[in-house]
Amino acid sequence: MALDRQIIASLKRQTPKIVRSEVQKLGRAAFQKIKNKMIADFLNHPVTIEIKQGINSQNISETLGGATNLYSFIGFNSSSEDPTKDIENILQQTNFEFAKIMNNSIEFSIYIPNAKDVFDATPMPWAPGRSWAKGIETGISGLGYYLRVERDNSRSGLGIQSPRQVRKKGAKFKNTQYISALLNKYKKEFENLQL
Amino acid sequence: MKPQYQHELMTSFMLWFDHELLQKGEAYSNQTGLLYCGDDSRLPSSYKAYASPYKQWVNDSSISGDTNPVIPTSLNGYDRTDNIIFDFENGRIIETGGAFGTDEVLSGTFAVKDFNIYLTNETEEDLILENKLQSNSRYSMNPSGVKPYDQMTPAIFLNCEFMRNEGFSFGGEDKTNNSIKAVILAENEYQLDGALSIFADSARKSFAKIPFSSHPSTEYGDVKNGSYNYVELRNLYLQSNPYFIDDVVVSKFSQKTQSSVPGDIKVGFIDFEVSTLRYPRS
Repeated sequence: MALDRQIIASLKRQTPKIVRSEVQKLGRAAFQKIKNKMIADFLNHPVTIEIKQGINSQNISETLGGATNLYSFIGFNSSSEDPTKDIENILQQTNFEFAKIMNNSIEFSIYIPNAKDVFDATPMPWAPGRSWAKGIETGISGLGYYLRVERDNSRSGLGIQSPRQVRKKGAKFKNTQYISALLNKYKKEFENLQL
Repeated sequence: MKPQYQHELMTSFMLWFDHELLQKGEAYSNQTGLLYCGDDSRLPSSYKAYASPYKQWVNDSSISGDTNPVIPTSLNGYDRTDNIIFDFENGRIIETGGAFGTDEVLSGTFAVKDFNIYLTNETEEDLILENKLQSNSRYSMNPSGVKPYDQMTPAIFLNCEFMRNEGFSFGGEDKTNNSIKAVILAENEYQLDGALSIFADSARKSFAKIPFSSHPSTEYGDVKNGSYNYVELRNLYLQSNPYFIDDVVVSKFSQKTQSSVPGDIKVGFIDFEVSTLRYPRS
């Protein structure tokens, strides 16, 4: 028995309201899964781990040939907070917003920070106009490190070789993919989000 | 090896950069003084070099300002027809054969750049920390000719550190992105801030791709055909696939860091993001 045309129209009108909360829940869960994965990827990146470990870290990112570590090389102040925290906070701002269900489609929008947002929030300690996060990708100068002529005067406090020794060893920074690659990867994943 | 993309990019960029600084900032001063005979083992033995106390001299005749730069075409009545080469890079003239003896007292007026511009592959730490650069002897009580080829401050060093191609359109067209870094070694804060300000305003400008064959300088630092005008040269090539300056970030050492820099130089940085569209695989 065929349904009355009016009943079909009524069902069509009511369906979005009924399924909205369920779809929203599914969408948010799928989004959150990817967001968590993105933040985990960031936190497990060798550069992030190395900087988080601070002045005594090994050069696990292999960006400096083991001569020193990134925290010292970039020239962070030992008393400053974890420099990667600012990036994590920006990534946490990734947001899901449900819009509407129309006909056979579901509309939602996702806000993802871009690399420039991150670069703006990660100033080099010795030259605030420059970004250390961008420097990881495109090349970073060791000036912040080398300018500590006296070990005891080091702002990071301890555990570093003399600048001359490190330069003799030929410590040259090796670029590596970091924020831009991470955001590009997850931008694609968010675009392909499926419920 | 014939010139490649990066060679043309950096020479085109350097010509643009030099013009921009001289024109926008009137970053030059006219100087009058003696030229001193000096040795240069790189020159043929019959050549004699007479150096001023300053380098580099302005050679771009398109520059104008409240006071126009003096671009010398003769000294003591001697010009290029008397076997004279004007070495603008090294702030000197080279006499190539019998025009006058080494006892000739030469003097002249020439425009000296506020900043010498160099292409370099040296790292920032080497440039800033080695402290091996001499200063243009602008205020010296005992002036003498500057040694040829030595790099002198105030100076700006240009270096392309990063290049990446990314797909742009069907048919193999790529967008080639380059990061060009400029290290400024200035003699005071005023000079440093002036240079930073000029180039901070250059974002979203374009500059012409000038082929190697059209580079205005000769191997001796003189200008080809006796004159060089950047604007005229640029206009010949501006329509053919220029370079775009996508972004510029300027910065300088924090106060604390500046105090650790050896010598009395003031250090600043300009980071350019430059791109162009091309077919790298064709």
